[in-house]
Amino acid sequence: MSDPDDPLALGEYRPGSAAVLTDAERWPTLDAEAAARLHRWRTHPAAPAWVHATGDRLTAEAVDRTRRPLPLGGWLGEHLATARKLPFYRGRTGLTTLTDFPPIGRADLAADVSAFVPLDADLDRMLHGTSSGSTGAALVIPDDVEEVARGFHLLVDLARRAGVEWTPDAERLALVWVLQQRQAFTYVSLISGFAHRAMARVNLDARAWRTASDRSRFLADANPQVISGNPTSLAELLNDDLRDVLRPLALFSGAMALSGPLRARLEAAFSCPVIDVYGLHETRPIAARTDDGPFRVLDRRVHVEILDAEGAPVPDGEMGEITVTAGENPLLPLVRYRTGDVGRLVRSSDGAVGIADLEGREHTEFVTGSGVRVPSVDLTQQLQSHGALGWSVVQRADGGVEVTVAGGDARLIRDALRTLLDQPVELERVEGLIDLGEGKPRRFVSHAVAPGRGTAPA
Amino acid sequence: MADADELLKVWASMAPPEGETWSIARPGPALDAVAARLSSVPRSFLDDDVSIRALSGDVAGAECASAAYADDPRVRRGAAIGLWLLASEDIVEPFRPTLAGPWALRAVDSLGLRVAPVVDPLDWLADDERREEAARTFLLWAGFVPAGEDRATAQALWQARDSLRRSSALAEAYAAYEHREEIARRLAEARAKEAAARYSSE
Repeated sequence: MSDPDDPLALGEYRPGSAAVLTDAERWPTLDAEAAARLHRWRTHPAAPAWVHATGDRLTAEAVDRTRRPLPLGGWLGEHLATARKLPFYRGRTGLTTLTDFPPIGRADLAADVSAFVPLDADLDRMLHGTSSGSTGAALVIPDDVEEVARGFHLLVDLARRAGVEWTPDAERLALVWVLQQRQAFTYVSLISGFAHRAMARVNLDARAWRTASDRSRFLADANPQVISGNPTSLAELLNDDLRDVLRPLALFSGAMALSGPLRARLEAAFSCPVIDVYGLHETRPIAARTDDGPFRVLDRRVHVEILDAEGAPVPDGEMGEITVTAGENPLLPLVRYRTGDVGRLVRSSDGAVGIADLEGREHTEFVTGSGVRVPSVDLTQQLQSHGALGWSVVQRADGGVEVTVAGGDARLIRDALRTLLDQPVELERVEGLIDLGEGKPRRFVSHAVAPGRGTAPA
Repeated sequence: MADADELLKVWASMAPPEGETWSIARPGPALDAVAARLSSVPRSFLDDDVSIRALSGDVAGAECASAAYADDPRVRRGAAIGLWLLASEDIVEPFRPTLAGPWALRAVDSLGLRVAPVVDPLDWLADDERREEAARTFLLWAGFVPAGEDRATAQALWQARDSLRRSSALAEAYAAYEHREEIARRLAEARAKEAAARYSSE
């Protein structure tokens, strides 16, 4: 059920609509002290109306396992052995070495994701994940509960490599993950493997808070040790009401390209490292950087190749499509997964592999008739909720919006975008994704917002 | 005639996972009684002109899924034999316990869409081992363990007779179809359940 007062409200974002577990199921090692901590942040007088409740689901044994990275010795050989037995490769012979495997892509996962799940996988650990990705239609991804939890410890490790010792600090929130969009899942959780310290997923959008001052009151009290987000939401931290109250040890940026100028402003404002993590939901994190140089491929079960249009590897230093063999998620072992992003493979003097000139992660904003900026994720939510499989949305310099959608309900999409943007919308509907053009479609383009501006307030 | 592969795919899409079916199976009729009844199927049930759709309606009051594939003679005969087992409770005598129940038609389809594509139903009538395979399969999908057997024993004996498992190519294909259905079901369950906490944008 959607909010009748908001024509753009999506039912699943109603508070509590997707929360069904008990707290004891969410945190099997929950003790009285942790429960009190949870209660404190859930009921904080300046807290937003939490939309969701969720935990890490880790037993004591799983807490212990997820603190350590998966061993790397011989992983690629084991990974390929697992892959050969996947239903996707049934009947294929000659898959001896990595390069014998044909590159795969998002369309293969969309067609039948189960063909990439090992027949003997522990399905009791499966979580439902989705990725909006580059072609529009949301992709369902089987996530592994321990791999997701291990993601927190990866952040701790990346912070340590950037010179930050991140350990539990009294009642400070260990982490706040910030978003800046119309609707979002928000929640308080506890990190079982981090002395049950609290973390929160918070929407900085003004509509998420009861009063305008609650946002800074809550975050000042939370005093998060680390803040993660995407460039849109991180830029919002530069607003005076937030910049003056936040003292993070490190910032993590993901999902979209972080511009050099925005990184510089964040570093200057918070005097801490800004760690840009490159990864896809399908592959998990791939590489990271703390400056504007190449991304450094992470020391984990990930192998990066750069391929040309025909799928052949290009020499180091040449541009091509970033293709990843990913072995962190036991429920989705991928071999030679084409990301749709492009870059060059470079090697540093210490032998580390890096990705330079990475392009592809989009960071687009639109502008409403009254001049308010709207992040592309808000459009994605509406397009997907009305069934669009893919799209191209272009905002002209005069504000008018030209939309091409593959599939979906054209009338509902046009109405939703008109309401959201308060701009004239011209819409054409095509039948298939291929009608949007070959390759990775550039879904969002805005000529009404200067490119490269980032999202920092003027 | 449809490919065995295709028929197994249909079965995989409609049947719950084997493990789950075994876990809720309860004591049923004696295996010998079911096998003997199976071999006594009247010629009229095996006639090429018999309409599975009509027969299913008459015997069970509903249409079995096999009816849509009954232009394949293996499916038609397999389903007809399953329907005979149900009909025979009125014509000959009821099994103890009765086969009638919520999964009776699923059991008919297990013969039409799972066993028949791999072993011709005429072999069930001529060969003791194949007849036992059909009887065990029927009982499993009707929700029963043969009388006098525990679940583990019944499962082991059924697997030893299961022709699908012995045909490596078909078994692989079937495992993939079954896997696909299982993953879809588990993902739907996981979606309904709620996600786990995450820590950063991807």
